[in-house]
Amino acid sequence: MGRESRRADVRVGVARFTSCGGCQLTLVGLHDALLALFERVSIVEFAEVLSPRSGGPYDVLLVEGSVATPDQARRIVELRRQARALVVIGACATTGGIQALRNWADGDAWRAAVYPNPEFVAALPTSTPIADHVHVDAELRGCPIDPGQLKEVLTAVLVGRRPQLAETAVCAECKRRGTPCLLVDRGLPCLGPVTQAGCGAICPAFGRACYGCFGPVATPNVAALRAQLAGQGRSDEELGRLFAGFTANAPAFRAVAQPPEHNE
Amino acid sequence: MSEFTGSRGWFGDALSQQQELRLASLSRSASFAAADVVAHEGAPLTDLGILRLGRLALRLFVPGRGSVTILTVEPGDVFNWSSVVPPYRSSSTIVAVEPAEAMLIDAAALRQALADDPTLAAVVYPRLLASVSRRLQATRTQLLDLFAAERGSEWT
Amino acid sequence: MDVILGTPAYLPRTRLPYLFTALQAAGRRIIGPTISDGAIIYDEIRGVEDLPRGWADQQSAGHYRLVPGNADRYFGYVVGPTSFKRFTFPPTVPLWRARREGSEVTTEAIEPEAPALAFLGVRGCELAAIGVQDRVLRDGFVADPDYAARRAAIFIVAVQCTVSASTCFCTSMGTGPEVTTGYDIALTELNDGYLVEAGSEAGRRLMDTLPLTPAESVQQDEAKESVAAVRRTIGDPVAVEGLPARLLARLDDAGWAAVAERCLGCTNCTLVCPTCFCTSVGQVSDLDGTDSIAERTWDSCFSPTFARVAGGDFRPRLQDRYRQWLTHKFSTWVDQFGSFGCVGCGRCVTWCPVGIDVREELARIAPVETVAPVVAGETIQRPVAVPAAPPAPIALPVVGSTVSADFSRATVTRIKPETVDTYTLHLTDLDPRLLATQPGQFVMVEQPAFPPVPISVSRIGPSGIELTVRAAGPATKAITMLAPGDQVSLRGPLGRGWPLAELDGRDVILVAGGLGLAPLRPLVEAVLARLVPSQKVRLYLGARTPADRLFVADAAAWARTAGVDFEETVDRAGSDWTGRVGIVTHLFDEAEWDGRDAIAFVCGPERMMQAVAATLTRRGVTPEHTWLTMERHMECGIGLCGHCQLGRVFVCRDGPVFSVAELGDAFGQEGL
Repeated sequence: MGRESRRADVRVGVARFTSCGGCQLTLVGLHDALLALFERVSIVEFAEVLSPRSGGPYDVLLVEGSVATPDQARRIVELRRQARALVVIGACATTGGIQALRNWADGDAWRAAVYPNPEFVAALPTSTPIADHVHVDAELRGCPIDPGQLKEVLTAVLVGRRPQLAETAVCAECKRRGTPCLLVDRGLPCLGPVTQAGCGAICPAFGRACYGCFGPVATPNVAALRAQLAGQGRSDEELGRLFAGFTANAPAFRAVAQPPEHNE
Repeated sequence: MSEFTGSRGWFGDALSQQQELRLASLSRSASFAAADVVAHEGAPLTDLGILRLGRLALRLFVPGRGSVTILTVEPGDVFNWSSVVPPYRSSSTIVAVEPAEAMLIDAAALRQALADDPTLAAVVYPRLLASVSRRLQATRTQLLDLFAAERGSEWT
Repeated sequence: MDVILGTPAYLPRTRLPYLFTALQAAGRRIIGPTISDGAIIYDEIRGVEDLPRGWADQQSAGHYRLVPGNADRYFGYVVGPTSFKRFTFPPTVPLWRARREGSEVTTEAIEPEAPALAFLGVRGCELAAIGVQDRVLRDGFVADPDYAARRAAIFIVAVQCTVSASTCFCTSMGTGPEVTTGYDIALTELNDGYLVEAGSEAGRRLMDTLPLTPAESVQQDEAKESVAAVRRTIGDPVAVEGLPARLLARLDDAGWAAVAERCLGCTNCTLVCPTCFCTSVGQVSDLDGTDSIAERTWDSCFSPTFARVAGGDFRPRLQDRYRQWLTHKFSTWVDQFGSFGCVGCGRCVTWCPVGIDVREELARIAPVETVAPVVAGETIQRPVAVPAAPPAPIALPVVGSTVSADFSRATVTRIKPETVDTYTLHLTDLDPRLLATQPGQFVMVEQPAFPPVPISVSRIGPSGIELTVRAAGPATKAITMLAPGDQVSLRGPLGRGWPLAELDGRDVILVAGGLGLAPLRPLVEAVLARLVPSQKVRLYLGARTPADRLFVADAAAWARTAGVDFEETVDRAGSDWTGRVGIVTHLFDEAEWDGRDAIAFVCGPERMMQAVAATLTRRGVTPEHTWLTMERHMECGIGLCGHCQLGRVFVCRDGPVFSVAELGDAFGQEGL
């Protein structure tokens, strides 16, 4: 966009699909940065925060959540037509989210077990990322997304530069923070080496192994990590469950993920 | 020193005098004015050509983009090499972009001569193959589109 | 007692707190070993109570555990995940602040922080690592101001190794276990206290303030023997004799792909390494992009973006990245900085989550015996690798006279469109050093909020320079959208240009493809300005289409110049084009000239330059007289960030202009 566009009115929208809503609230959590942002852009659609809604077109549309119903599959195509740049935010929008665990299960059986009148629940048999349905211009990973990354992507849009989003593994952030490797010094099953950075390596800093909520790096060597963890005596069942988390449906994890069986 | 043999000839020193005479008997000179069409894409070819002077453009017609020049033939290059390979039809439209002179070898007679005389074939085919190979390698390089601007989307 | 430099003294263990007091009294914060998150890390410590007393570290490939050790000892461990580079070369450092106000741009360096620190517990390998980083970041081509300032404020208390881990190989790398040089004070931990030696005048003065007694010979013997025992335990696990050449002879080894099967690409080995110095610069900006701070962050050659340029990646495969790392540490580092980049501390072995052991990989990929054992029934042997003689060192440009790493400002006075996406900016109001740019040199253009972009100088005039920029991404696009009157911030001239001294009356062959004509234009102008009647200039230009040709008016004038043989071609054209269509090598592969005494200058995409170099060789031009300009990812422009490494060279520092002979095997090598 460049310098002249800073003076222009940039229309920003926020749309929600199947999700908990936590990612879009990260926008509210930007605090001071949000006030500065309000001076430069018009938030024209943000149902969780603003009551007046004007709809598209959007210069930037932030999309949260996965596509899980036939209606959503239609709606995302319509929104894409109105958005110049479409940025998907969060593990649900980028991979299908925790609800994509149903992709391993018999959806009809679940629906019948959970709802008294399952015939009124229109749900697709799978939960899928937005990019499976429409072209996506940029993605922010994570459950939830990182406020710093959200600020960066919005700044980049306004300035006209490429967003600076980490593409290394979480390990790089652990090392910069000075967190000793949990895999090495405690033998914990950490997914950091195959998970994309951007979170600031928060979990390992508190002694919790990474569970991959930012999804896989571009070329994850999942097989090598899995083999290493198996060599430490972990069962196939445990390893299958390890990858069956918030980003289980990301292709690199999907190949090895195995959610636990549902117990009646 | 002829067109065909010797250090400056198209076949180098490889032709015997007899073979050279036989080729000469199948050949004739031709000249083209700028914009003359030397061959039409898909049309039967009657001659193999060796360009002596000027420049020929090899063009392919692309609906909506017009005629695209994909190669030019320079003095010393062969053209109409498809005339010795079935189905003996031109693979491109050839247009003289400036006044040009060429040596044309009757293709049917040449094919017969090559069938009759394996020693002649042993000289002519490698030379032709070398030319076609040079052109093929150039085409591969062009296919890489090395000078294209490499670009991502607007800001990702 | 009176402390004499080089004469050991004795400090009882109960008096170790005096060392802390003395260092703190000298105004220093103490960085030393302490337990955190299940490991012994280096962090700020206040007294002996913070030391890992009684703990040892059990280490093997991919494995680290704290275990109870000798209950009295404070230094009974080896090395942990932290290295002291964290404090001389921190993970994130702000470098400069850039502001744009209207047309004006200001860029100011951020003053380095240099806290007075004392490093306590520096091992032999770690001292060597500090020495390696000194050579790279302080004593090299251009000093990094932040490193130099921090480093100058460090006081070093070394501790001799009296224990080792299975991962140690300092003995092979010549860096330990003995602490021999580079410290202010060295301690050896004995059964009941410490042997203390001064290694510098500052160390001696500090020792003067400690309650020391003269060391008895039995204490000195105990100290010597405990370190000698460590040396015997470690042995000599890596055969370093001839290793640099052995590795370079193995660039095509199948072992690289094999190790990539196991490698996670996680960056851990590089980030725990005490010598790795690669960084990237990020921009922290306000929402307008008018005010930004450039921040330098630890990066890694394993990072997916590390060797990426607009539209491509020079090291796309994990095997490329692993090979880059290992060959840098054990081979090309020697070419660049005069020592191995590895000090044998073993951190990369321990902290690799899948336990890849560099010692094993070196032995497998670059074994000492180059003949493989004969398989039963077979007589075929693997060819003996005979490493080529080490190529001549590359003459670096001279900082201060031909290279300037400082920021300066310039004003855009004209912008000329060249093609649909390429523009030439004419810059004036220049730092005089920029007016002395040599043909082939480049500048880093720094726009507030955008990453720095290397741009070659496409004209050097009496009062200004020109930059020709293709809008290939957002940062280059922003440069092409500057308006006359706008200022830009530059660093330069940078790099080594075309070797004008080599012209020497020779016939000159110039071959350019696409945007490659930009760095060649000042050379063409310089060549034509000094053309002698006996000299022939052959100029061959290639472009994608007629509309993509650069500098059309200049080219027409060159074509008319006496003594110039000019030919151009395009890859494809419309029917109105009567010029040549085809590849640039066809302009001269069957020409009649003899290239044996000629000098050639080539610029274009690397694949095109390979084809041109091969054709020039067939025409007789020697590799020593075939000069190219290379493209790689660049961030610093002065050999400090590591991104542009190409085998033995850094493209920004040693090039971008190289002869084919200088590049050797690196030219056209996949994944380098």
